[in-house]
Amino acid sequence: MPNDEMPSGALMLLILRVLRAGALHGYAIAQRIHVLSSDILRVEEGALYPTLQKILLKGWVTAEWGVSETNRKVRFYRLTPAGRKELDAQLAAYERLHQAIQSVLRTA
Amino acid sequence: MPDLFRRVRYLLHRGRFERELAEDMEFHREMAAHEGRSNFGNALLLREEARDAWGWTWLDRLSQDLRYALRTLRKSPGFTLAAVFMLAVGIGVNVAVFGFFSLMVLRPINVRDPGTLLRFHRRNANQYAFAVSYPEAAFFRDHARTLSAVILVNGTSVSIENEQKVADARFVTTNFFRELGGGASLGRVLDPALDEGSADPVVVLSHGFWQRHFGGDPGVVGATLRVNGRPATVIGVAQRYFSGVGTGVDDPPFWAPIALQPYFVDGSRLLTDLSVESPGVSLWGRLRPGQNARAAEEELRSLAAQLRREYPAAIWEGERLPSEPGGYVTSMMTGNRRGTGTEEHDPIYPIFALVAALTLLILGVACGNLGSMLLARGVARQREMSIRTAIGAGNGRLIRQLFTESMVLAMSGAAAGFALDVIVLHALLAATSAPAWLDASPDWRVAAFTAAAGFGSAILFGLTPALQVGRQRYHANIARRILIGAQVAASCVLLIVSGLLGRALDRVMFSPPGFDYQHTVSISPDLSRNGYPAARSRAYLDTLQDRLRALPGAQSVALALAPPLGHVTISAGIELDGRHADVQVNHVSPEYFETMGIPILRGRTLRPGERHVVIVSESMAQVLWPGQDALGKKLTLGDDFAVVGIARSVRYGRFGDSDRVQAYFPIEVGQLPSLSILVKTAGSPAQFAREARTAARSLDANTFPSVEALSSAYRVNLQGVEYAALAVSVLGLIAQLLACFGIAGVVSYAVSQRTREIGIRMALGAKPAHVLKVVLRHLSGPVVAGLAAGIAGGAALAQVLRGRLYGISHLDPAAYLAAVALFVVTVAIAAVLPARRALRIDPVRALRHE
Repeated sequence: MPNDEMPSGALMLLILRVLRAGALHGYAIAQRIHVLSSDILRVEEGALYPTLQKILLKGWVTAEWGVSETNRKVRFYRLTPAGRKELDAQLAAYERLHQAIQSVLRTA
Repeated sequence: MPDLFRRVRYLLHRGRFERELAEDMEFHREMAAHEGRSNFGNALLLREEARDAWGWTWLDRLSQDLRYALRTLRKSPGFTLAAVFMLAVGIGVNVAVFGFFSLMVLRPINVRDPGTLLRFHRRNANQYAFAVSYPEAAFFRDHARTLSAVILVNGTSVSIENEQKVADARFVTTNFFRELGGGASLGRVLDPALDEGSADPVVVLSHGFWQRHFGGDPGVVGATLRVNGRPATVIGVAQRYFSGVGTGVDDPPFWAPIALQPYFVDGSRLLTDLSVESPGVSLWGRLRPGQNARAAEEELRSLAAQLRREYPAAIWEGERLPSEPGGYVTSMMTGNRRGTGTEEHDPIYPIFALVAALTLLILGVACGNLGSMLLARGVARQREMSIRTAIGAGNGRLIRQLFTESMVLAMSGAAAGFALDVIVLHALLAATSAPAWLDASPDWRVAAFTAAAGFGSAILFGLTPALQVGRQRYHANIARRILIGAQVAASCVLLIVSGLLGRALDRVMFSPPGFDYQHTVSISPDLSRNGYPAARSRAYLDTLQDRLRALPGAQSVALALAPPLGHVTISAGIELDGRHADVQVNHVSPEYFETMGIPILRGRTLRPGERHVVIVSESMAQVLWPGQDALGKKLTLGDDFAVVGIARSVRYGRFGDSDRVQAYFPIEVGQLPSLSILVKTAGSPAQFAREARTAARSLDANTFPSVEALSSAYRVNLQGVEYAALAVSVLGLIAQLLACFGIAGVVSYAVSQRTREIGIRMALGAKPAHVLKVVLRHLSGPVVAGLAAGIAGGAALAQVLRGRLYGISHLDPAAYLAAVALFVVTVAIAAVLPARRALRIDPVRALRHE
């Protein structure tokens, strides 16, 4: 199934954003992105877990044990204060970039 | 930074993190499968990619490669041992040479804050002197603002009671110990507060002298030591590892305040004499914080100019005081040389350059050997490499793997070489009885050099197998031939050079010096140190000569100002009609030539009471009056002298006397207190020396004459040459050994590669000679080419050596031919021995092979 190309920076932003509402496990993150993007974006585990590892290393999320909806012991990822700050910064940067591109697209 | 912390945490707890990651991904799959999706990739690969984020993948690969390399090397212990041995030798000789160089040049000596210590000497456009007169140095001490302290050191030979030989004592400014950070191991050291301006004669013993002379007596403080017959109080013993600074790398017996030098040395004008003839002091300064050497030099230059207005004769026109870093062994080795023109460079650098070139060549040969051994192994491992490529290893990964193997070999070799260096340096210092403060234990510089040498050689010899893999071609014939040629050439150069050096040293050691050192005893009463004026000296010398003549065995007695192999050497530069000669000058009595067994070839010997005449050596006659008769010619050296005789040229020193230009003048009255007596004996010189000492002491119990059989002085003189000859022969042997190793390796490789072909030939009835020819055919071309290049290289290097090093004054065809012949023979043996293996090949098995 064809995947809409997504730069890894963008995936990081999306992951941080869906975690803002609360802790989620890995599969739920992928599902959430999928659903919220109206089934356009599909996050494969080959992209999700390396990115998650990077975010964990940066200290933007922490992992904690919890129980999944299927009653399985699983790790939930939670945004840290540093992660929240990072998300805001990335969102602002993305917003600026987006507007810049849009203004070119509209007027050119 | 916290990022790095987390990474390290991942590394330390990787087991747990890996498990968690695996579980996460497992769960993900379950959920995906639950929802009916089945797009699963390779779970292991995906996990590895996720783990990449932790940044430790390289470490995993490295440890994998390392484990694999160790396993492979363990599987072929013969190869591994040979490789490590070769590298240990190649790297070891380099590390030993570097270690010695570092000890001499790079490593600060054991004094406080060596970085701000400077040593100054004098120079102007056409003169230089390493010693500075005391009054000039004292002027600098009193006025220099860029220097926080000035340290002055004078070395004077003194006779010490109950010591056989003259010792080189150090007279120093009282700040010497404080400035250099030297403490006392017993009593106290010199202290400006207590000793400056004090007239009490005190000495601080060196640790070595305290052990030798006082047997390490702990009650030595307060004892009296008679120096030149004058009593002095021992106030303490310096620490064992205190090097001090001074005028040479030695172990002085004691340090005493410089102000008291005239007390010990009669008639000394050290403290007042401004002329360049004054023995002077070595001048050391400590930079004030924030100042640099340049500023200090500039200040001393202007101070010298200021002083010149007062003493225009003593201070040179345009005098500068260039400095060198003072905190190193080399700055102590420059001694008190002075002369005209540019000073001779320390011979230490060209010698090091030569030795370094030779040892690097040895390392090159070792790497070349290993390179061809690895090439051969590459063929054997072709199968393994193909399999690894087939299961997905990229070229990069294979090369990295091979390089890891090379690295493991190189580092094992380097470690062994490091150990070799430690052993060699300690043995060397012990054998040359170096002072205790010369610390040979390896420091970080040596360790860094060893690692660099190991890394460099890994790159050198690891290159060929890597290229093999890179080009997927395992029969690198051209590369192999070039390797063989280069190896032969390098080994040949090494052998020729070491042969030449060995022969030159041999000549120095075993050719007769031209005077009779075996039967002669020299007695130096050092009357000048005991305050004898000329008239009393004459009486003393006459009486002593008479008594010596009366001793059994005495055949001939003579006087000389500079006895052969002694401490005194006098030299003078003479210009005559544009020809220049550096003459070894001596003042002798008429009987000198008979006593020393030096024949007068033409003319006559000196006559008693004669003045304004001179006897010159044959070499001097040739240098100054080439193609003319030197007899009757006039020689101007301060005064005019007529040449009345020509003596045979003699080699007094150990190496440098290739020109042997000597002039003998009659003794002048002022020299009487400084004369030595030489006696030719019929019996044992050692026995005679004992009797001579008794005779001299009975004449004046206050003198402590140094009495020595010249044969023992000669032996001591030769010791250095012996070490050099030994070192050179060892280097040559190593080169030879490595060359044989390499050739033998290449030949057995050639045999193993062509087993099948040889088997077929033998099955078809080829004769053994023919088989050998086939095996060795490809070898002869590169060997001959390498030999030619090596001979040419050796000749070029010999040409350079002639100009640079003592002893090699002529090209030596014998050394040349011997080296080449030896090389060819051993290489032939090394080639034929493994080639014979080809003859034992069983045709049937060879055909089944592969």
